[in-house]
Amino acid sequence: MIKTIPNLCTGCRICEIICSLAHEGSIAPKQSRIRIQSAWPEEEKIHLCLACEPKPCIGGCPEGALSWDGYLRIDEEKCTGCLLCREACPYGGIQTENSKKFPFFCDTCQGEFQCVKWCPTKSIIRTK
Amino acid sequence: MKAEFGGYAGKILEVDLTQGRVKRTSLDPDLATKYIGGKGLGAKYLYDHLPLGCDPFGPENLLIFATGPLTGTLAPGSGRCIVSTKSPATGFWLDANCGGSFGPEMKMAGIDAIVIKGKAPSPVMLLVDDEKVQLGEADFLWRKDTFSTHRWIKDKFGEESRVACIGEAGEKRVRFASIISEMRAFGRGGAGAVMGSKNLKAIAVRGHCPITIAYPESFMKACREAFNEIAIHPDSGGGRQKYGTNTILSCMNEAGVHPVRNFQKGIFHGRSALNEEEIREFYVRNKACYGCPIYCSKISKVKEGKYKGAFVEGPEYENVWSFGAHCENADIPSIIKAEYLCDLYGLDAISTGNVIGFLMECMEKEVLEESDIGFPLKFGDNEGMIRAIHLIGRREGPALLWGEGVKRIAQEVGRGAESFAIHVKGLEMPAYDPRGSTGMALAYATSDRGACHLRSWPIGAELLSPEERIDPFSIEFKAEFVKNQQDLFTVINSSVTCLFTIFSLSLRHIVHFLHSVTGIESFASSEEILQSGERINNLVRLFNLKEGLTKADDKLPQRFLTEPLKDGPARGRLVDLETLLKEYYFIRGWDEKGVPTSETLKRLGLPSENQNDKFPKYQNT
Repeated sequence: MIKTIPNLCTGCRICEIICSLAHEGSIAPKQSRIRIQSAWPEEEKIHLCLACEPKPCIGGCPEGALSWDGYLRIDEEKCTGCLLCREACPYGGIQTENSKKFPFFCDTCQGEFQCVKWCPTKSIIRTK
Repeated sequence: MKAEFGGYAGKILEVDLTQGRVKRTSLDPDLATKYIGGKGLGAKYLYDHLPLGCDPFGPENLLIFATGPLTGTLAPGSGRCIVSTKSPATGFWLDANCGGSFGPEMKMAGIDAIVIKGKAPSPVMLLVDDEKVQLGEADFLWRKDTFSTHRWIKDKFGEESRVACIGEAGEKRVRFASIISEMRAFGRGGAGAVMGSKNLKAIAVRGHCPITIAYPESFMKACREAFNEIAIHPDSGGGRQKYGTNTILSCMNEAGVHPVRNFQKGIFHGRSALNEEEIREFYVRNKACYGCPIYCSKISKVKEGKYKGAFVEGPEYENVWSFGAHCENADIPSIIKAEYLCDLYGLDAISTGNVIGFLMECMEKEVLEESDIGFPLKFGDNEGMIRAIHLIGRREGPALLWGEGVKRIAQEVGRGAESFAIHVKGLEMPAYDPRGSTGMALAYATSDRGACHLRSWPIGAELLSPEERIDPFSIEFKAEFVKNQQDLFTVINSSVTCLFTIFSLSLRHIVHFLHSVTGIESFASSEEILQSGERINNLVRLFNLKEGLTKADDKLPQRFLTEPLKDGPARGRLVDLETLLKEYYFIRGWDEKGVPTSETLKRLGLPSENQNDKFPKYQNT
């Protein structure tokens, strides 16, 4: 499980940078699975999949394209791109980007959670 | 060149405001290899393309926003962007540097630099959305403050758009107007006034292009190591995270180099300088620039009293000084308010505080009278100070003159005011008294953009570094130290990362970043990289010489040469600049007039066709 502590977040976006480096091999914060949303000049908000219960994204998908096996999985054959999953998620954990056909989300970096490792203020932590 | 090198976007966006045309050109790979990016790129462009002796406010002046290969990457402090132009304050070279996210967003929009020339017939904004670039009308934003301008642009083009804009001060060509990007500033030297002279209110960028890394594994390893070093260092992982730039406040004050009353004294006894805890009480949260683990920025708010509602990203050490000790003002809320207003109007807070402190001394010495100012502006009067900032920001009434900066006010006022006009080459001085630091004396005198603490900062080694401490009063080794640090800082400002990483990191780290990000072979060599820094500094020197700079401009204000400091550890001291300068020129490979010798230019691979010219003095406007 992942927990966020938004009032420790400085908005440095190192999590976005490392997430895109780990998944895309380049620096592309807008393709990151974690997002720091800023409403300038207000405080930042941290958006990512918190592996919550009871996973409203899975229930919210009308096609049954989402499932859980250690982290959220998507069946690209079934996904129609309706994005109801994104609407169902209260944590902003489901991302989209123009260059990608399907929604994408945290896959735990093989359990390594690079964002947790690199966050300088420990505003993203593992709880178990 | 995208396929060739990592880190770079490979494109330059050229904007001609007179013609209303924009085009993308390719970044020359040789230029990148030789000048890295950022300041180096700006230096090469200005040296090659700026018409000799041009008016800084003329349409022919160039305004260049440039990133470097490290901008936007994971290298610590990679959120910065450099603007280069001919300064309206000095008439010489200017590069000013801003954190935040503007630089990284430029890179993600696929451009390494934006080169702006000409003048729009009416106010415009430049909008960059990946490949789509347009000039939009901005009449309705003219006279709007920088925060309202940000809000309008972000509401219209999306919260993720990154903005750099000017306020009223830039529009009215205050010679120390800044360019503001999300509560941070391209602060010094009047780049905001150049932008105003071009009728360019704002630039907004948004991009989705990934930044490629040549050797990702090597790069991530270098970053991991750097992050660890930053976290355990007492400055970057301690004081700077806790207090921001004010971490040095009481140390500087106790050393007697925290100037009071326009550099009349060196120790301030007011609340604003006694202890960094006093300032810290106003901090509400930490803030970081893009990609920075140091988070030295603090959001401060005034929650009660007559300055209630003011908030800043800061207040930074320099402004706690410029609106504090410099004006003999101990009231912290008024300092926050002052910095807040500087952000809104788009004013450089160092120079603004300097101008007000100078006016206060003019009143004290009866060089000016109350009727000249319009109200009693005495040392310690923070209400008068705030009033003066409004006038300067709007450039109204007596501030028509004040907006010209200390040098020109003193020339206009006369009556001996020049003897206490504190500036070098026309740029007002930051918060370190050179009589208590021979290193800073030389750093100020030789800085390419006038009195500046960010070309080299020897006072750090003189007063703050326990392991490698050098004597602040001795002149030994100072020339060598300043020269080497200037070259290193120029490497950082060309790469581009933040100077605040250099207290815990070293050239070795920068070189590792540069090589693993770009894949350029010569970037693997510390010697070659440092020589690039030296090359850029010499090119900037050539630029300044072409623009009429002589040895007489590498000077300090008269006060430091003739009036001994009155208090503190540096009491009774003056600066022996001549000896320092002579040694510095020699170490730089410059002749006794401060001109790079033909051997030096040849060694650095710089054009030497100008070496025998007389460097005609052009009249600066």
